[in-house]
Amino acid sequence: MTAALAVRNLGRDHGGGQAPALDGLNLDVPAGSCLALVGPSGSGKTTALRLVAGLEVPDRGDVLLDGRSVVALPPERRGVSMVFQRPLLFPHLDVLDNVAFSARVAGASRRAARAAAAPFLDLVQMGGYTTRRPGQLSGGQEQRVALARALAARPRVLLLDEAFTGLDVALREDMHELLHQLRAVLEPTVVLVTHDHAEAAALADSVAVLSGGRLLQHGDAGRIYTRPASVTVSRLLGGRNEVPGVVVGGEHRSALGRLRLPTDVAVPDGPAVLLVRQEAVVVTGPDAPGADAAGTVLAVRAAGARRALTVEVVSPGGAAVQVHAETSPGQVFTRGERVGLRLPSSAVSAVPPEDAGTEEPEIADRRTADAGRMPRTHRVASPAVPDAGVRPDAPGAPRRRNHHGDHGT
Amino acid sequence: MLVAPALVPTVAVLVAGLAAALAQSLGLVPLVGRPELSAQAYLDVRPDLLTATGLSLGIAAASSALAAGVGLLTALLVVRGAAGRRLLRFASAVPIPVPHLVGAASMGLLLSDSGLLARLVGDQGSWPALVHGPWPVAVVAAYAWKESAFVALVVAGALATRVASYEETAAVLGAGRWARFRFVTWPLVTPPLAAATAITFVYTLGSYEVAWLLGPVHPEPLPVLAQRLFTSPDLTARPQALAVAVVTAALALAATVATLAALRRTATWR
Amino acid sequence: MTGGRRAGGQPGGRAGAVLVRGSLLLWFLLPLVPLVLWAAAERWSAPAVLPQRWGTAGWSAAAEAGAAPAFARSLLLGAAVAAIATPAGALAARALAHGLVHRSRLVSALLLAPVALPPFAVVMGLNVLLLRARVPALVGVVAVLVVAALPYTTYVLRVAYAGYDTSYEEEARLLGATPRAVWWRVRLPLLAPALAGAAFLAFLVGWSDYIVTVLIGGGRLVTYPLLIASAASGVGNEAVVAVLSLTSLLPPLALLLLAGASGLRGRGGRGRPSPAAAAAPAREVVVR
Repeated sequence: MTAALAVRNLGRDHGGGQAPALDGLNLDVPAGSCLALVGPSGSGKTTALRLVAGLEVPDRGDVLLDGRSVVALPPERRGVSMVFQRPLLFPHLDVLDNVAFSARVAGASRRAARAAAAPFLDLVQMGGYTTRRPGQLSGGQEQRVALARALAARPRVLLLDEAFTGLDVALREDMHELLHQLRAVLEPTVVLVTHDHAEAAALADSVAVLSGGRLLQHGDAGRIYTRPASVTVSRLLGGRNEVPGVVVGGEHRSALGRLRLPTDVAVPDGPAVLLVRQEAVVVTGPDAPGADAAGTVLAVRAAGARRALTVEVVSPGGAAVQVHAETSPGQVFTRGERVGLRLPSSAVSAVPPEDAGTEEPEIADRRTADAGRMPRTHRVASPAVPDAGVRPDAPGAPRRRNHHGDHGT
Repeated sequence: MLVAPALVPTVAVLVAGLAAALAQSLGLVPLVGRPELSAQAYLDVRPDLLTATGLSLGIAAASSALAAGVGLLTALLVVRGAAGRRLLRFASAVPIPVPHLVGAASMGLLLSDSGLLARLVGDQGSWPALVHGPWPVAVVAAYAWKESAFVALVVAGALATRVASYEETAAVLGAGRWARFRFVTWPLVTPPLAAATAITFVYTLGSYEVAWLLGPVHPEPLPVLAQRLFTSPDLTARPQALAVAVVTAALALAATVATLAALRRTATWR
Repeated sequence: MTGGRRAGGQPGGRAGAVLVRGSLLLWFLLPLVPLVLWAAAERWSAPAVLPQRWGTAGWSAAAEAGAAPAFARSLLLGAAVAAIATPAGALAARALAHGLVHRSRLVSALLLAPVALPPFAVVMGLNVLLLRARVPALVGVVAVLVVAALPYTTYVLRVAYAGYDTSYEEEARLLGATPRAVWWRVRLPLLAPALAGAAFLAFLVGWSDYIVTVLIGGGRLVTYPLLIASAASGVGNEAVVAVLSLTSLLPPLALLLLAGASGLRGRGGRGRPSPAAAAAPAREVVVR
């Protein structure tokens, strides 16, 4: 049932001469894999989903399922299901009839449709609730039924539009677990939209970052967090550390000192911003061997079970830089304390600095970009190269969750 | 044009009806004789028209005031978690599906000098003439009975989802019982109460059957006067009937416009 | 402070509250008591507080007066008004709620205008036109009553459309439903309570009208209210009036029970419904 989804140069305009809601989107989602569309509100991610579903008509471009265009097909004939942020269970039908809806409208008898729907309800662990009414379920239960209903339509592509956003944290993690199980059993192609980068990290094989209707970067979920293509992408994915400096011969020099960049980070010599996930920064004692820098704790903040530290590092030359780090639950730090910082070299990357005030999107994934290009001149001209590097970089085996290793938990 | 099936008949009936009423009242469509523009019908019917207008306005004002008071009280008791609210909710819904005519008929059986109340009191000789008497008590009672249920329904519906939480908020902020009513419930209640009362007023002003069945024989309320003139064997009375109709319609429209203007000033409306 | 109202605070408060509630119950229910008594009275002369002899004389007298055909005529009239005013109101409500109408404020004002105008005034004017155009009385009555019912159907359905979430239809499309199937399996069932409420109100307009039928029908179209009015305006007909009045409440009550029952069945009657969830839709229907 599953199909490869491809989106070619997809565009959709707002009315009234505003910037397009979506502009020149290109994406490939291999059959059976899971893509997360991440971005702030208004970035066009929901528009992209609705264009794929056929709920809106694109002004430009094409949507292909297994290589065949579906743009001319109405939504009911695309073989695409969607779960919205609200469960939208039909209030006049009981739970099982909701799941049986797709079979009913396909012409099956009520008995046959209900029989076919039952296994899907079992799949989401709602088998005991067949005759309940939607109003008698909790929010999490309703969303499970909505998921079962979408899957019972045997979609070639399953779309999730902020489907878990309305749930509390514990329920959301249950749903993530459930989605993993469903993917193992049914292997649907999944595109999910979320503004929660952690959810994207937890669920997706690849992540596409959108902003202002444009695709900024599409990359393997395990690597996009440690190899963001730009400062903007890093910020949209929740990255907090940006250390200005210069790259000289594969080495980043800044207030933190000299840090060797991974070999796959190909950044030309010149000004560059060092990016490193706060989760990847290891906080040690001030004189621990292997510390890359030492500084003073400016602030300690609870972040769930962990602590978020802000550490100020002052270089020998007097330049100060703040580094954010998250520590393991057992570690205790106080304000003013001297600590050492280790930045695992696999987790750091460097990108050309962005001009203050410009929101010029970087199109290309770093690892597929031309290593020798000049950052500034390229950025000015960047809209002219929409295609470069938006291919998914890991079309092979899904590597979900493997980025957790990178984060040094 | 999706609105056409509703809009076309509405506009056709209203415009044609009102225009024809005006034309007939001005002598342009006489049943006998030649059409002639004149205000003669208005002048002929003037004495009756004035007393009828006063009576009708009085009936409408008394009925809607009573309905507003009883309806508001009922709504407040139904919306708050007061004891016996289910019974009260049921009882206050009873008049809703009852036709006005039936309400009038049963009010007659209750309030006439041989009615149930007079029998319960026992002294029929001293029972006041509530039906067909000089004071339109039975008419007002019948309208108020039916319309108080309507007011209660509208106000309770508008309050149901809101008043409890707002009152709790106000209570947390330290407002006493009177202050909660004055500053929370009353402002919330005013727009729906005013709208429902205005609808009651306009309806009562132009409604025929209750006034005809229970009302004073003389003077007559506006609709009864108009109907008597309209069905009079004297064909020259027809323009006078239409003159009464036009005046009634004008009064109803004026009351509606005044209410809308007043409602527009209150911030919580819409 | 969940109650919001505590009568126990001051002495006599509780007795006062009971008195107020008792008076209100009496106010709403007492006027119907003579109807019940008279309908079962064979003989009930003046000073007696209760009938001297019980019986069904009123019922046979009502039947002789032609209650059955008048009842049927009024049922048909109410049904015709509901059948026309509900879909027409639904179309207008949909257009207004979805902003498909130019000058929507003017249009809604016009659609609500019949509430603000005395029906007798409009019909007295209209009558001469209907006669000259040779419009059959029945057609004229139905047309005017439809116009009188449209404000109610339009209003009820406009509220319903405003609260109607078109995402349900999108979801249904994605589950394979054609636009036609969406209409039958999603939109109609979801709007059914509001449609039923609107149709009920429109039926009531036709069922209880007196003055429009009298003026346009000229007394030849004898509906149930005409029968009641002619009995009530006479003397010594109390039992007939009571029987006709009581029976006139049956169709509205039957419709309400029907709507309440199907609401219960449709929204949580099966399985293990929580009482609150089951009661909510029934209340909604009764309120409408």
